[in-house]
Amino acid sequence: MIGLKYCGGCNPFIDRTALVQKIEKLLPQGFKLSTDKPMIPWEKGILICGCPVACANRPEVKTLARQWVLISGPMIDFEKVPEEKMAEVVAGKIQL
Amino acid sequence: MALKTPEQYEESLRKMNFKIYLMGEQVKNPVDHPIIRPSMNSVKMTYTLAQDPKHEDLMTATSHLTGKKINRFCHLHQSTEDLVKKVKMQRLLGQQTGSCFQRCVGMDAINAVDSVTFEMDQKLGTQYHDRFIKFLRMMQEEDLTVDGAMTDPKGDRSLSPSQQADPDLYVHVVEKNEQGIVVRGAKAHQTGAVNSHWILVMPTMAMRKEDTDYALSFVAPADAKGITYIYGRQSCDTRKLEGVEIDVGNARFGGHEALMVFDDLFIPWEQVLMCGEHEYSGLLVERFAGYHRQSYGGCKAGVGDVLIGAAAVAADYNGAAKASHIKDKLIEMTHLNETLYACGIACSAEGHKTASGTYLINLLLANVCKQNVTRFPYEIARLAEDIAGGLMVTLASEKDLCHPKIGKMVEKYFKGVASISTEERCRILRLVENLTLGTSAVGYRTESMHGAGSPQAQRIMIARQGNLEHKKKLAKNIAGIKE
Ligand SMILES: Cc1cc2nc3c(=O)[nH]c(=O)nc-3n(C[C@H](O)[C@H](O)[C@H](O)COP(=O)(O)OP(=O)(O)OC[C@H]3O[C@@H](n4cnc5c(N)ncnc54)[C@H](O)[C@@H]3O)c2cc1C
Repeated sequence: MIGLKYCGGCNPFIDRTALVQKIEKLLPQGFKLSTDKPMIPWEKGILICGCPVACANRPEVKTLARQWVLISGPMIDFEKVPEEKMAEVVAGKIQL
Repeated sequence: MALKTPEQYEESLRKMNFKIYLMGEQVKNPVDHPIIRPSMNSVKMTYTLAQDPKHEDLMTATSHLTGKKINRFCHLHQSTEDLVKKVKMQRLLGQQTGSCFQRCVGMDAINAVDSVTFEMDQKLGTQYHDRFIKFLRMMQEEDLTVDGAMTDPKGDRSLSPSQQADPDLYVHVVEKNEQGIVVRGAKAHQTGAVNSHWILVMPTMAMRKEDTDYALSFVAPADAKGITYIYGRQSCDTRKLEGVEIDVGNARFGGHEALMVFDDLFIPWEQVLMCGEHEYSGLLVERFAGYHRQSYGGCKAGVGDVLIGAAAVAADYNGAAKASHIKDKLIEMTHLNETLYACGIACSAEGHKTASGTYLINLLLANVCKQNVTRFPYEIARLAEDIAGGLMVTLASEKDLCHPKIGKMVEKYFKGVASISTEERCRILRLVENLTLGTSAVGYRTESMHGAGSPQAQRIMIARQGNLEHKKKLAKNIAGIKE
């Protein structure tokens, strides 16, 4: 199970819904995304924030998974990625 | 050392070997020069307050490199709290000096250069970030004041650097060898240049491939052989030579700018932080300008506090303080001033981490902050002049006030309310004059307009960062328009 946590979505620079759909399609069978709060921390999580502020990137959220891929607007883990490539980059990082 | 005392700072400047020209003469001892000294006092205040337990929470930070207590001006912001504290520190210093305290440009430069060199090294395999961190360690350890040097003279604004009739109108590399590079050109409007220990040079704008020689960043000792400073004149500056205090308006503090000329300046490779990577010059300018636009939400609000206070005191001394329109004008000034501050705080609170770990402000809000700064101090100054009355520009001189014969006339006819001395009234009116059209107006007015980029530069960034597509989607959704 891959954790999925969204920011509140007040100022999205990217289409978060479309991006998550694309990531889901790219992930091999067996990988499932879940927004339910885990009983024990997820092994990996995707923290998807619409803008660079990444306001959901908070300590209490970070405890929900052992490892995160952080999407903050046009950036993945602080590196700018063209929007059409984002799903591919995130899916790649999840399978590492 | 990590924290210099104010005395150590002054002593360290005395040991430097600057080549400075001011009004046609070479200045051998800038520290004690009556025109320059008030600006040194302002920078010195950044050292004084760092030693004071009443201000250390804002003025100092913990180095992420060494864990030591350092002056916040030498710090890389490690959180949004750091960004907020930076703005509060700047407001405090504006309040304490009533002028530009000059040390912000270097702080903004190190924060921008840190994240950009880190990202450059990651992508290009260069080694600029390691060199930068080595410099930063020294800066923190020795509590150095660093001049952030970005603006080139620029010649014909419609032409790119390499198209200029004179190639030196933008700083560029003229020679590269095994030891380092040789640099020619100049940086204009350099705030606090001759109160600085080191300079951090950055490109002035996004460079294209043909301008590769101009994509340049480096550090150098401020008194390096090959650097000449030509000190900028300020309105009313020679009053400081008259041996008077009241007429100067703010006798203890001030700011300064200078033209910094590089005449085949040699820079060893370990001091070079960008050399030809033109594709990163725009990012460096954007980040530096962003931090500096945030800065103005603090420093200008602090100086604004002094001007609002001066206008209110002038009204008290005039006997007009109870008039409803005066009260309303002071409210308006406060509203405008706090709006500047609010934007400074907002862009800091909405800051975010970069790849190097250093926090960057929210660029949209920082640009909104500076756009307001290009307007509101002018309106605050207008209201201060309204409240102060015409005497702020027609007042007799201090020498007339103290004159054995006519002093009595000055005393008698420039009196406001009976309980206040004419001297005190003169002092407050001269302060309003100083801030609105004297030496401090350089920092409070024209620097508000052009410092960190002219207004149009912010509008370009606001257009880029404004997320108009999202706004259009919202409107279509509410209006029931299907995509
Ligand atoms: C008091 C003060 C302190 C400063 N301190 C520093 C400092 O410490 N370090 C530093 O590096 N810089 C400093 N600056 C410089 C500041 O960043 C510049 O003043 C600013 O970038 C504007 O440049 P400029 O003064 O050359 O004006 P110009 O570039 O000449 O601009 C004048 C007008 O022309 C317009 N314009 C210019 N070029 C173009 C173009 N190509 N197309 C269309 N319109 C154009 C501008 O928008 C503006 O309206 C300081 C400036 C001041 C006034």
